[in-house]
Amino acid sequence: MSKVDRREFIKLVGAGGVGAGAGFMLAESIKHPVEHLIPYPVPPEEFSPGIATWYNTVCGMCPAGCGISVRTREGRAKKIEGNPAHPVNQGRLCALGQAGLQVLYNPDRLTAPMLQSGERGSGEFVQTTWSEGLSEVAARLSAGTGGEVYFVSEGVRGHLANLLELFMRELGSGNLLHYDFAHPHSLYAANSRLFGETQIPYYDIRNTRYLLSFGADYLNNWLSPVHHGLGFGHSRQGNGDARGRFVQIEPKMSISGAAADEWIPARPGSEGILALGVARQILAGGDYQGSDAGDWSAALSTYSADYVADKTGVPAETIDRIASEFAHADPGLAIGGGAAGNHTNGVDTLVAVNALNYLVGNIGKPGGVVFNPDPVAAGSSGRQANYQAMQDLAENARQGAIEVLIINNTNPLFTLPQAAGLKEALASIPLIVSLSSFMDETTAMADIVLPSHTYLESWGDDMPQPGVGFSVAAVSQPVVSPLYNTRATGDIILGLAGILGLTETMPWGSMEDYVKDGWRNIYDRGAPDAGDFESFWREVLISGVWGENTRKTVDVVVAKQVIDNIAVAEAEFAGDSDEYPFVLHPYLSTALYDGRGANLPWMQELPDPMTSIVYGSWVEMNPQTANELGIKDGDLVRITSEQGSIEAPAVMFPAIMPDVVAMPIGQGHDEFGRYARNRGSNPLQILAPNMDAASASLATSATRVSLVATGRRAGSVQTGGVARQLGRNIVQFTGADAGSAGHSAKLNSIPIVVESS
Amino acid sequence: MSVSIVHTLRVLLPAARIALVALIGLIVGFYANAMFFPGTSPEQPIDFSHRIHAGDNEIPCLYCHVQARRSISAGVPSVNKCMGCHAEIATNSPQIRLLANYWENKEPIPWVKVHDLPDFVHFTHKRHVQADIECQTCHGPVETMDVVSREAPVEMGLCLNCHKDNEVVHGTDCWTCHK
Repeated sequence: MSKVDRREFIKLVGAGGVGAGAGFMLAESIKHPVEHLIPYPVPPEEFSPGIATWYNTVCGMCPAGCGISVRTREGRAKKIEGNPAHPVNQGRLCALGQAGLQVLYNPDRLTAPMLQSGERGSGEFVQTTWSEGLSEVAARLSAGTGGEVYFVSEGVRGHLANLLELFMRELGSGNLLHYDFAHPHSLYAANSRLFGETQIPYYDIRNTRYLLSFGADYLNNWLSPVHHGLGFGHSRQGNGDARGRFVQIEPKMSISGAAADEWIPARPGSEGILALGVARQILAGGDYQGSDAGDWSAALSTYSADYVADKTGVPAETIDRIASEFAHADPGLAIGGGAAGNHTNGVDTLVAVNALNYLVGNIGKPGGVVFNPDPVAAGSSGRQANYQAMQDLAENARQGAIEVLIINNTNPLFTLPQAAGLKEALASIPLIVSLSSFMDETTAMADIVLPSHTYLESWGDDMPQPGVGFSVAAVSQPVVSPLYNTRATGDIILGLAGILGLTETMPWGSMEDYVKDGWRNIYDRGAPDAGDFESFWREVLISGVWGENTRKTVDVVVAKQVIDNIAVAEAEFAGDSDEYPFVLHPYLSTALYDGRGANLPWMQELPDPMTSIVYGSWVEMNPQTANELGIKDGDLVRITSEQGSIEAPAVMFPAIMPDVVAMPIGQGHDEFGRYARNRGSNPLQILAPNMDAASASLATSATRVSLVATGRRAGSVQTGGVARQLGRNIVQFTGADAGSAGHSAKLNSIPIVVESS
Repeated sequence: MSVSIVHTLRVLLPAARIALVALIGLIVGFYANAMFFPGTSPEQPIDFSHRIHAGDNEIPCLYCHVQARRSISAGVPSVNKCMGCHAEIATNSPQIRLLANYWENKEPIPWVKVHDLPDFVHFTHKRHVQADIECQTCHGPVETMDVVSREAPVEMGLCLNCHKDNEVVHGTDCWTCHK
């Protein structure tokens, strides 16, 4: 062993030192990180760390109005489930409802009031305070005459609708518009014409034995899909051996079509003619014995099976068979909507569909058409802005007749076609105020942004429309404290009213007070066992729903004049059929609805049920069509209408008529946060401004397009591999027997239950 | 002729010596840390003494940790609760003044966790307290400690031995704790 010299010694000391240091740090690194226990200075009532608190409230993700139970822990919302006591969804909830948490915790939420600091649409905003923002708006409201103030809100119901109405009346303006893209205008108009009812009736899918659906994608997004899903399940499996039969008529197979026993493609816009053909066969078969049978027969004489077969492309034998099955089902139910109601003959089509119900005598019967009593507090149905109203809005703006435009949580710049010209028209409005939780396309054009609470932070109430055949109302209560410096729409309105000195007619200090005050009327309706109002209110908040077992019976007599004029004209389409050979069929996306789900990662990741595609847009076409055009799956295709063009990758979809192409709605945002922006394309932008004259609503399925391959490839992200079995016999089936129908704290919110661990 | 590797090794000897010393240093450093800075009794924002409260004054554990019998977490008392007594008791002590400061500013006290289980362990206080397991079984003789330190080895062995001794139903199933 050699001696250790001085240099060697220093080296060894150094090595030892470095080693010891490294060892020390190693031990340090494997220790638990320091965690803290943070107690509340004063704990909220009913609060226990580690124990979940559930609150019942109302879902705000779509207009169906489902009841939800939200699980919170340590003051944070953790999970949303359906409220089992709520008659609309009975404990179930759809994917969009589940994703409400990502609305609440979305990183792109607006967190404070803002003023536009650059050019409109530049996206440059500076933060301001609530008092400054509100007084600025109030000053502008009081400066002009009331008639120059316009208010465009999302479709709201219950007391918020009343509050908006009251506020606008106080301002001296009648210009309150409720705007929802997917509002079924033509269905309201059709029910009004045939039944004289201002409300959509309850279609009792649950108890029907034969469901004939004309374009209504009722399992996906038509009216109240969660409720329909429950009814469908019961109709199929809840009646012992009897299994409800279900026929779907539509040009492109939807989820509902995929669940049907029989899927019948009819030419787009010819659904009403088909319905009248079926009606005529019912009369011809002697299955309708009413005193007005003669009138009906005379009115429907043109709709012979051969004529209808010619117009719809559905074989005459099929029409005959369906008519016989439907007439002899006990009971049968016909529903119509979706694309079938969004043609230029939409109202006529839905009148024809409803006439089928009348002719088989299911009106007011279980398994048929049940009328809804009037909502217990005024709602917004019937006051929804149709396309004509939105065009008038744009026109008034261009004329300089609008001084102030207030937008509440609705995004018309995304859902209206470019042809409506609203974006350009906005330039003529001196002041645009937006109440929104997100920087969407419309809010980006606002001068003053007043950020609103999400529905999970707000007080409100809801009377679902269409209802479920009896009176239902529910209170929406905050489940968490507001995350940011935002306010509920109702509170913003009351704040403005306060500054404007309207406290005499609008004396409420908060939306909570107003809703609670309004519910005294509901309390007064009956003699509840709950005792005084406070305990009634408590009961309503705990159970999450209030109901009244009142039914509405209507003696439906269809006027002779209505019968005589029952006819469905052929649908008109914008665009020459040679230049634009395909009918564009835009449909509400399962995940994104009308586009409002596009900023939620869960919804972007949810595969489309029919194509299994996630993210992005696509255009579905029949493989035969694609073959003729030389387009392959995944080719980027340019879709051109008279109004403009967009691009989307082609997807081969066998269950679509060869001259129809389909695109999901919801993508193609320019704004709306990091998850939505610059993803896919928006088919609504290129729609022609064709309207259904009878309801003045946009005929969204009445645009013709041409397809051209761009030569580029842009495959869609698909989670399911091959759509065909390739002989693997994965899905085994037997053919359905045709004609077998009829066989066989901090808040005043009040939680509900305490979870056991 | 023989080939020796000794010559080669001799060249490497200084390097090996340095490596050996560094390794010894590493081990010494590691254990020095573990011995002198065990982290089992971290410094707290207030010198709260469990000995005075639970020991001398015999306040039951569940008087302050009131959640333990009904929640998965035992919880720490709110500042409000501390002030319930200390608005009157020992108000002049410097440590109580610290407490009063937090209270006046309505600020929470950032206590440092002493007993912490990894996230993959599902432990619930409720079941154990309701089964009359002494708090001290896992937390050690807290009533004798001025500064709480982690004395019992709260590791899987402790759980399993106790579950075996008490013949807990499904007490040794993996998913009883890891779920």
